[in-house]
Amino acid sequence: MQTRRSFLKFGAGAAAVGALAPLTVSANSSDVKWHEKHEIVIVGSGFAGLAAAVEAGKLGAKDILVIEKLGVYGGNSTLNAGQACFANTDLQKQLGIEDSAELMVQDQLKSGRGYASEELLKHSAELGPYIYQLTKDCGCVYRDHIINTGGTSATRSHQVVERSGAGFIRPMLKTARSYGVKTKTRHKFEHLITAADGTVLGIQVRKDYHFGHEDSGTLINIKAEKGVLIATGGFGANVAFRQALDPTLGNEVGCTNARGATGDGLIAMLSEGAMPVHLSFIQSGPWASPDEGGFGYGAGFSLYNFPHSIAIDRNTGQRFMNETADRKTRADLEVQRRDKDGKPNPALLIAPKHEAQKDPSMENVLRYNVAWEFDSVDAIAKHFELPTKQLKKQIDDWNKYVKAGEDPQFGKRMNMSTGIYLTAPFIVQRLWPKVHYCQGGIQINTKAEVIAAKNGQPIRKLYAAGEVSGGVHGVSRLGGCSTPECMAFGVTAARSMMKA
Amino acid sequence: MKLLNTLLVLTLGACLAVSAQARDKRDYHEMVYDSGCKTCHDQGLKSFPSDESCLQCHDMAELAEQTKREGHDAKQNPHDSMHYGQEAPCMECHGEHTKKQALCMDCHNFDYPKFK
Ligand SMILES: Cc1cc2nc3c(=O)[nH]c(=O)nc-3n(C[C@H](O)[C@H](O)[C@H](O)COP(=O)(O)OP(=O)(O)OC[C@H]3O[C@@H](n4cnc5c(N)ncnc54)[C@H](O)[C@@H]3O)c2cc1C
Repeated sequence: MQTRRSFLKFGAGAAAVGALAPLTVSANSSDVKWHEKHEIVIVGSGFAGLAAAVEAGKLGAKDILVIEKLGVYGGNSTLNAGQACFANTDLQKQLGIEDSAELMVQDQLKSGRGYASEELLKHSAELGPYIYQLTKDCGCVYRDHIINTGGTSATRSHQVVERSGAGFIRPMLKTARSYGVKTKTRHKFEHLITAADGTVLGIQVRKDYHFGHEDSGTLINIKAEKGVLIATGGFGANVAFRQALDPTLGNEVGCTNARGATGDGLIAMLSEGAMPVHLSFIQSGPWASPDEGGFGYGAGFSLYNFPHSIAIDRNTGQRFMNETADRKTRADLEVQRRDKDGKPNPALLIAPKHEAQKDPSMENVLRYNVAWEFDSVDAIAKHFELPTKQLKKQIDDWNKYVKAGEDPQFGKRMNMSTGIYLTAPFIVQRLWPKVHYCQGGIQINTKAEVIAAKNGQPIRKLYAAGEVSGGVHGVSRLGGCSTPECMAFGVTAARSMMKA
Repeated sequence: MKLLNTLLVLTLGACLAVSAQARDKRDYHEMVYDSGCKTCHDQGLKSFPSDESCLQCHDMAELAEQTKREGHDAKQNPHDSMHYGQEAPCMECHGEHTKKQALCMDCHNFDYPKFK
């Protein structure tokens, strides 16, 4: 049995040197005592895992198992903001928005800064309208308003009415079960079980596992006839692992992820010789608030308000970024806001109440002490100890940019704030980035097959989808672009397994 | 005699272990303790109780009704939440021998004044 500690050490080392000593549990199928057997075994109950379960069910699979290590389903997916970028949907057409898969790929390639995979992005973007329909068929309900997210050249972020990934997860879980998919919580995937030639035969699972109690429950071996899909998500919540890959991401920055985002599936696949890609590209969310845990309500508030609001450095009373630049640009700039001793001094997002109140997020941030209302610039300056004169001038200048439709300071796209002037009363929220998303992971191809490091060939009967896979988005993923990608590759993995 | 001693030590040891744990207990569960540890520890004393264990006495739908919230807060019903519906097992939020807080609090500054 490998302990979690040895797993961690191994993963970090592997990431650094890219060399892999197989830590494999290989076996002849006859040597393994199998406790259960299923046609398709899916590890993880987020978007990737459930999309695969639903698609496999649709394709006629008779015996599908989804396991989840926590006591609850949905991982990061159910905490998600419910946003999904699809290009070329009927809703976009109704709203007169012109868009295409090609344009979406172009936007993502730009944000990927030369590291994204055009092939994988294209595969995912082209499946977009299919995924949009699949989720609707599961009973997901979209708002009739489409949202603008940073770094996109067309408005394409479709959002479910719950404004939470729960609006996807719960209907998808229900649909999967209606196809006879067996779903189990407190089942922790420990490692792969492979044949001598590397073919994946099944997995070892810790049944009745309680998170944080690594030796709880009992070990069982589960055989997978058509294959194993690893859909265990990212490793954002694993501080030691992420800090080994990016030294700036210790405990000083928070994290939006679910507790279970510890990288188990990634680490197990590394030890099976899978190819790691871009593990150090870890994204922080620039919309997070230090005044609550996780994603909370603050993220939704700033996402809605960034286009027509300004972010202010408390030392200067001035803006310091394009508030709708891509995530990396903003998070990198936010984390540089420091007091004279170098301690974090979170920036302020200042939004006009007359516009902020159009979104339900305002009521939430005010109610739970994540943002506060001020009736004048002086009141903000006094409360947060800002240079009043500079702040006043900045707000005046900003309102001139709104009028002119041009932002000479940071080149923000101003057609999102036409006519929305920054006037009192104001709603103010603090901004401090939180670790949010792992661009890196295990390499897959357009069939969602896992690629072996030693020869670039697929590892037989091993599939990965969702945040656990890497290299799709390159340096920085655009907002709303994980949901569709997780589901697209989940669907793809199901199709591959059913064809194989 | 030797055997008896060993047995005594073993039994005493077991009792001590149990009472050490039982120190952190909920008074209103007194009668459950009276019926023995196995009442809850249905998977053996060294294992966590199963998620069904608490449901021998508690009913999720009833709890959901009891903690129902109105209007703005409707989706924050911890026993019927937007994220997990009625499927969050009791032990995700409640501990009998250890202090815990509601899972929601990982991300939200909610107020659950009657949380136990
Ligand atoms: C708060 C938040 C908001 C977000 N908002 C958006 C958004 O609006 N739009 C967007 O596109 N993206 C968003 N993202 C990103 C996106 O939601 C995630 O990338 C996506 O949900 C990942 O899906 P997944 O299926 O790969 O993994 P997850 O949803 O994380 O699911 C993986 C599951 O596997 C389980 N697991 C892990 N290890 C094991 C193991 N050993 N055994 C068994 N199970 C295991 C985990 O517990 C988890 O439940 C957001 C992310 C967060 C955290």
